[in-house]
Amino acid sequence: MDKSNNKLFIHSDMEPVTLEHSVEIILTPQFYTFIRENLDVKFSYQAKQIAASLFDDYLNTMIDYQYHVNKCDGEWCFFAYNIDEIDYFLESKGIEKHRVSKIYFAQQLDKELTKPVQLSAKNALQTIDGTVTIIPTRLLEPDTVFQTFDLEDAKLSSGITMGASLNSFISLKETILLSSLFFILGAVSITEGSRIKSSIGSENEKLTQLFNDHKSYRNSSARKNILNTYQKIDNDEHAKRQSIKEISKLLSAKSQLLALKIEKNKISATIKTSDTGISKQVSRNAKAKDFKSFSNGLDVKVEKQL
Amino acid sequence: MNIMTLQRYKNEIILLLSILFALFAFIYKLSATTYVKENQLHIQDQINEVTTVVSLKKQWGDKKITNKVKALKTIVPASKIKSFQKKSKKLIASYSGLTANELNKVNNKLINIPVQIILLNISQSAKNQYTMEFTCKW
Repeated sequence: MDKSNNKLFIHSDMEPVTLEHSVEIILTPQFYTFIRENLDVKFSYQAKQIAASLFDDYLNTMIDYQYHVNKCDGEWCFFAYNIDEIDYFLESKGIEKHRVSKIYFAQQLDKELTKPVQLSAKNALQTIDGTVTIIPTRLLEPDTVFQTFDLEDAKLSSGITMGASLNSFISLKETILLSSLFFILGAVSITEGSRIKSSIGSENEKLTQLFNDHKSYRNSSARKNILNTYQKIDNDEHAKRQSIKEISKLLSAKSQLLALKIEKNKISATIKTSDTGISKQVSRNAKAKDFKSFSNGLDVKVEKQL
Repeated sequence: MNIMTLQRYKNEIILLLSILFALFAFIYKLSATTYVKENQLHIQDQINEVTTVVSLKKQWGDKKITNKVKALKTIVPASKIKSFQKKSKKLIASYSGLTANELNKVNNKLINIPVQIILLNISQSAKNQYTMEFTCKW
């Protein structure tokens, strides 16, 4: 093989080759089974789904085949091949797997192979009735002129890669579907996570502003000291003032204050009432406000621990 | 692992990468939630604490209290003030012959000034006549 040649026909009689660069191989019909069908399907993945059933009657069910489909002249061209067989054959001819960049099918050269191309002393390749076929040279006319076909000029498309031909556990369709789903889930999680993280941004700013306005309160222990000092004062004084207001509310036109005293943690008051009914009412109201009450005639003494 | 193997398992690798992406994104979301839960509470506590400290200090540590306390001397006629001793941040005052209205005025004024009432003693001396003593500090 010419070292500069990038494309290579693969046929059973080929000579072993030594490669120093990657190569695109063109499988001859010895390595694939071909069917052309006019189907009412729009996309190649749909056609590929029914490929296996099309070859049911032609292939050995014990062998695992791969399928390739492409559109050709308004019809669908189906190819069935066994990548392990091809792989084994290529190895035997000195072609390592990683050197094979693309795999094409000779059928894709049907227009170019109207005249036979000699593959070996025994076989030639020619398009017969639109199908590229291996023909034993002995069946050809003795005066047949083989065309010199430069593979480099061959325009090939719809090739497959070695890896893609090997069976994946998951189909491309499932891969796209599941990957998209996981990608969307991931994107949603990241968006949600960012939104959650930024949600405390305003509170952080508020705290920073507070610390900037009151630098001395940055220190937690300084804050605790102030709280310990003033919180108790606030609670105690609030309780005293609240109790004074509650005692004021016990007074009415029929009762008057005789004495009121706040000393240490205790508040007490003596209220003089005009009759026993008012006296009882004052006692009742005082108890409702958590005061202890003691009646002495018409005088009612109320007291509470602060 | 050569290129062939990578190509052979291309679908699985793409799917695995997308699963890993979703997994890491989910872990990121969980860590963000935990971070916010822990810090939001802490930050909120700090805000509340600082706000409370500022408010308490402003109320009970107000430097204008000394002036406010002086109003207790002018709120009733001077003849009814038996004593009015202001030393540093402490006031001892005594009133006598206060009417119920005057008593209310002094009392309301006192409880509206942010001072610590150490002692308060109100007693009726005669009908509609009250004496009042108190000690407060700030």
